[in-house]
Amino acid sequence: MKLLKRVYLGLILFFLYIPIIVLIVQSFNAGKSRAKWEGFSFHWYEELIHDPNIMNALVITLSIAVLAALFSTILGTFAAIGIHAMKRRPQNLMLTLNNIPMTMPDIVTGISLMLLFIFTQVERGFVTMLLAHITFDVPYVILSVMPKLKQMNKHSYEAALDLGATPMYALFHVILPEVMPGVITGAMLAFTLSLDDFTISYFTTNPLVQNLSTLIYSQARKGIKPTMNALSALMFVALLVLLLVVNRRTKEEDA
Amino acid sequence: MEEQRLISLENISKHYDGVTVLDNINLYIRKKEFVTLLGPSGCGKTTTLRIIGGFETADSGRVMFDSKDISGIPPYKRRVNTVFQKYALFPHLNVQDNIAFGLKLKKMPKDEIARKVDYMLDLVNLKGYHKRSVESLSGGQQQRIAIARALVNEPEVLLLDEPLGALDLKLRKEMQLELKAMQQRLGITFLYVTHDQEEALTMSDTIVVMQGGRILQIGTPKSIYDEPQNAFVANFIGESNIFPGVMVRDELVHFCGVDFPCVDSGFGEDKPVDVVIRPEDILLVGEDVGQVTGVIKSVLFKGVHYEMMIDAGHSIWKVHSTTMQPEGSRVGLAVVPFNIHIMHPMEDEKPTEEKAQ
Repeated sequence: MKLLKRVYLGLILFFLYIPIIVLIVQSFNAGKSRAKWEGFSFHWYEELIHDPNIMNALVITLSIAVLAALFSTILGTFAAIGIHAMKRRPQNLMLTLNNIPMTMPDIVTGISLMLLFIFTQVERGFVTMLLAHITFDVPYVILSVMPKLKQMNKHSYEAALDLGATPMYALFHVILPEVMPGVITGAMLAFTLSLDDFTISYFTTNPLVQNLSTLIYSQARKGIKPTMNALSALMFVALLVLLLVVNRRTKEEDA
Repeated sequence: MEEQRLISLENISKHYDGVTVLDNINLYIRKKEFVTLLGPSGCGKTTTLRIIGGFETADSGRVMFDSKDISGIPPYKRRVNTVFQKYALFPHLNVQDNIAFGLKLKKMPKDEIARKVDYMLDLVNLKGYHKRSVESLSGGQQQRIAIARALVNEPEVLLLDEPLGALDLKLRKEMQLELKAMQQRLGITFLYVTHDQEEALTMSDTIVVMQGGRILQIGTPKSIYDEPQNAFVANFIGESNIFPGVMVRDELVHFCGVDFPCVDSGFGEDKPVDVVIRPEDILLVGEDVGQVTGVIKSVLFKGVHYEMMIDAGHSIWKVHSTTMQPEGSRVGLAVVPFNIHIMHPMEDEKPTEEKAQ
């Protein structure tokens, strides 16, 4: 029975990860053929670094991710503090409204943002993609800051006022330091989500401003170059590390 | 006496979602007085404290501080400090920075802050705890830091909201004495909120008994214990027997089927009254010499005394005595006139027979 359990679990994990393993193995394949192993090599990684399109997309991806994480963390943190201060009923309403965008399919979010930009005659490009990323990141930030606010002693803020702090001083010197772990988790989550987004980015940018995932997509239509294997492998590893860190932080906070 | 009034509440009322929390509260607090707001949960005592602290605003009425109306002044501009129920220490700051929080806001020089923090830690018996994280401290220690953090600002009034509620009995008793000693040494006015009548009796100069958003009685611990104004106060402060009776004439009251001589007068003739007798004031005597005779229904050993429930005159009498009588035996009961306390019956429906300890 125990053996059966292990085999079952092993099979599931195998089928789950086999595509990614193939991808990573292929990225080290010296030859161009995807069917034949022609020896181990870093060739495609080197080519990757020297490809201006890819490097350009990398810069855009990282700038979008950093900026989106920054703005959504600021917006989301203060929003969470505001929602937390509300009475129960409006608070529940706000949290429900906050949850809906997260459950919405990316394609819906992407197309509706695209329509909004067309409707308002905003030219699509870097700024619209950034705005879109901030939009879908904010709910996640609110969701990771909220539990920290709930854990806080409800009189902490009043205690600060009592000791002579203005509401502003209390916000920055008492509330923010107390919820900081949640804020950092939220920022990392926003960064990760932004890094890995394809669908929403695809609808909110123009063909000249590409992030890595939209670039991979447009190149794949012309036939996949082995450099894409290397790029995908790198993205996988980067996201894996980020997710592990975020998970670990959430677990520590819960403990 | 008027100029000694530090805080006055004038006609304070407060409602939450249509529920009356405070109903026309009038109260004044003198300088250096230890005042306790005492009552069951939901009686409005914490709301009263929070209105003085500035965390809530009254719907109507004024809060006067040193003869100035401070009703609209925010908490950070009031010369009062608060010790909160669950301490509300700042977990991201160590002990020293928690205590120094208010002083830093006043832009006090560093060496003076350090000196004051040292003094406060000394005062609350936590010398050398400067760098400890507040989360590593026990409940009692956290409570002391919370008191130090408030007192270091030298407030004119210290507000304490059930500060000892989370501590165990022994620690609570120690802290009661310490707080009282601290208050006398520093000469600061304390306004203390508790539901524990024993705590109120031990520490206070003045007790304010509250129920249902109203003040029932204000007085010294002794006057409240000895002369409760109605059945609720009598029941809430200490243990008591409350019997419905009829005032036959001045200094003679009829209850439990017998006429008892008493010392109260001015209630009129044949008027319904409530009669209060403390359990320790009932004497057990021989069956033939008592004013009323009864049968002992149950005996409980309480440490200092025995608590006996005695059925006499179709009522149950709670009696405290240091000598035990066996269950089922017949005894006589006697009460000296001075220990019979007569009250006007409560107009409202009688509160349920709940006892605080």
